[in-house]
Amino acid sequence: MEFTLDFLIQLFMTSLGHWYVIIPAIIIGLVIGAIPGLGPANTLIILLPFTLSLEVNTAMAFMVALYCSARMGAGIPAILVNIPGTAGAAATPFDGYPMTQKGMAQQALTLSFVASAFGGLIASIFSIFALPFLARVGYYFHSVEMVVVMLFGLTLIAVVSTGNTLKGLIGGLFGLLVGAIGPDHIYSAPRATFGFLELYDGVPVVAALIGIFAISEALLMIEVKSILTEAGKVRMAAQTRWTETMEGVRMAAKRWWHIVWTSFIGLGIGVVPGAGAPIAAFVAYQQSRLFSKTPELYGTGHPEGILAPESANNGVTSGSLIPLLTLGIPGGSTAAIMLIVIQFHGIVLGPRIFLDMPTFPYGVLMGMVVTYLFMVGTILPLARYMSRVTLIPTQYLAPVIISFTLVGAFSPRTYIFDMGVALVFGVIGYIARKTGYQVSAILIGVILGPYVERYLMRALRISEGDPMVLFSSTIGNILWVFLILSLILPPLLERIRKR
Amino acid sequence: MKKSSSGISRRVFIKGSVATIGIGAMSTFPFGKAFGDDFPSRNIKIVVPTGAGGGADKNLRAFMGVWKKYIKTDFQPDFFSGAGGQVGYELYLGKRDPDAYNLLFGNMGPESIMYVLQKPKYKFPGDYIYFNRVDVDPSVIWVRAGSPFKTIEDLVAEGKKRTVTISVSRLPHPASIGALALAEATGAKFNLIPYGGGNPTVVAALTGEVDASALPMANPVSAGEQARILGVFSPKNLIPEQSNNAPPINAVFGTKIPDLPSARAFAIHAKAAEKFPERYEKLKSTMRKVFDDPDYKVAIEKTGRPWEFVSYADEAECMEYANNMIDLTNRYIKLLTAKGKSKKKK
Repeated sequence: MEFTLDFLIQLFMTSLGHWYVIIPAIIIGLVIGAIPGLGPANTLIILLPFTLSLEVNTAMAFMVALYCSARMGAGIPAILVNIPGTAGAAATPFDGYPMTQKGMAQQALTLSFVASAFGGLIASIFSIFALPFLARVGYYFHSVEMVVVMLFGLTLIAVVSTGNTLKGLIGGLFGLLVGAIGPDHIYSAPRATFGFLELYDGVPVVAALIGIFAISEALLMIEVKSILTEAGKVRMAAQTRWTETMEGVRMAAKRWWHIVWTSFIGLGIGVVPGAGAPIAAFVAYQQSRLFSKTPELYGTGHPEGILAPESANNGVTSGSLIPLLTLGIPGGSTAAIMLIVIQFHGIVLGPRIFLDMPTFPYGVLMGMVVTYLFMVGTILPLARYMSRVTLIPTQYLAPVIISFTLVGAFSPRTYIFDMGVALVFGVIGYIARKTGYQVSAILIGVILGPYVERYLMRALRISEGDPMVLFSSTIGNILWVFLILSLILPPLLERIRKR
Repeated sequence: MKKSSSGISRRVFIKGSVATIGIGAMSTFPFGKAFGDDFPSRNIKIVVPTGAGGGADKNLRAFMGVWKKYIKTDFQPDFFSGAGGQVGYELYLGKRDPDAYNLLFGNMGPESIMYVLQKPKYKFPGDYIYFNRVDVDPSVIWVRAGSPFKTIEDLVAEGKKRTVTISVSRLPHPASIGALALAEATGAKFNLIPYGGGNPTVVAALTGEVDASALPMANPVSAGEQARILGVFSPKNLIPEQSNNAPPINAVFGTKIPDLPSARAFAIHAKAAEKFPERYEKLKSTMRKVFDDPDYKVAIEKTGRPWEFVSYADEAECMEYANNMIDLTNRYIKLLTAKGKSKKKK
């Protein structure tokens, strides 16, 4: 196979020919992404009889489009009602929701859509050209390196705690403790399950996410008439025009470089099997704030605080397919379902795919490019109408949120128990919010804690308990230096500036 | 003959009464139960104690697709993963009716180990019966293609010089028991690193984070030329041409490590098998036909699994396998648990 312009054009035109499955998949993906608890993996399992009946390239176009658009859809409730649709959008409300409260939901949604679409587009185009090289990245990121990557994400606890560090750290520690519930990572012995069989594999993250963010937010909503501030109400009452969407596009365009480099963070993390969108979003947000000229604006409704996590979690989409396409190993649950369909059609993935059937992996990535192009046209015009959700009085909004999200908590594992988990975390989140503790810090601990422990325990087990293993790799050591610099430089520069 | 005032003789009256009582009595007799002719009259529900989209899902779909032709009903698989399968088993035994319309599709090896280590509420043998094995997947030790270890002897020799790292899916797993047994038998030092699932375990070996890996054979086979299988914990290598003709480990070292395959099988409530023997028979007889159907071979090959792993076994053989796995777990319990103090359970 020759990697020529003609080849790329041919791939593009072939992918474009799948528009009839891509557009419905985008719509389905946006809806299921926006409903907390319903993810692309669950949906693809339900649709498996349908995808198995399609020709393999068509089926892949459908599944890829649904996967990508679900990532984008997850940001919609995160921005509008402070409820991330999936764990991958858990960093989006940090700045998305404050913008909504200010009456800038339309701009915030537009920022999210532009970042998702272009972040995903950039990462997938880059993946096409660098596919064989990206396949090697996973070979250099082992447990040691991943411990440091996770620590980048964990330092976000300190970032979101700005203003009340002690309460933030207590919240983060609580989250880490909750994340430690479940099996230990070596012997699989259950810990702190309180006798609940349903906790043997840990606290269900989706249910915890729904409780901490959605239920607690709905409980708070009951106390007020509108989620908007007074200024926000005035602004929302005045704006339902396309110009607000265009303003969002302009805000994103001004920060195009931000979208580019945070999408590469997503791509890089997505390539490592087992890592995923939540890690990418947290790390991108942390890095975005670190290199920002206005870090103090993060958490108050700063556009870059939306662009970074949304661009990164869509950058993950192409990255996460690379281990699947080049090694035959699914990097996550959605990729595992894609593998069922691919194997059903007799395609053997792995390094030989570039010799045996080179158009297949490139075709899948080109399908992603086409999807992201379609997504821009499909969703951008809808920002104007979606933003009107914020005008719904909370007496209607809160019960709808609680009902929908409880179903969302139930759906991933179909355990009634998980609805109870969501309610318990809802109350915890409510108390935390009322007493000034950061629910974001709790959630970071819950999501990233088990990852950190898993990689750390593996690294220590490999070294037979020698902690110096954490400094035994060149890439790991470089990452350590960056981590330490990212922690000490900002306050140091701030002090120098003040002098 | 003396007739009654109504014109019916006593004999006719007695005959009629007996016939009526007889018909009445027969109407209460469970013909359906006796002859099983209306079974199944509704969908059969199947609890799978692992997640949707995994190996069990693929395997079950392939089986159901063909079994449907013979049992003439539809199926409703429900996936209840968690706690190494315990959630699915407890749900099946605690909340599903023992009426032969509810079955379980499990992996006998890992789930028998789970039974010993986690001490669930149910009893085995006693509460359920494994009765139709669909496949076996032998445990193997394998390395990445570029590894310096070309044979299982190389790996064991290295293990005698230094501790060799081996990625495994979980410590409580047949392949892990195999690696531990090999280390014990040869004096090699193996450090097992659990990766919490087949895919990350494969990645760890392919990317060189560990020296070798112990997994069911289908995992390295699916990695193709990237993987080199060194030895099989089984008396015979079922697919020599796809596994570099890897030898049985016992044949290489003269050891007596037991056969350690993963084996998927259907299970049924023991009460259902006892109460509805005709239904149980129908389940067994129709399932047996699937293995001889050429469509099943096509369906299995579409899952990417070698056809050679498909292997039927009846109730007796299934139960013997599960009991052996329980004995093995008890034997290696100290190496499989954090404290090594768990009480034996059988």
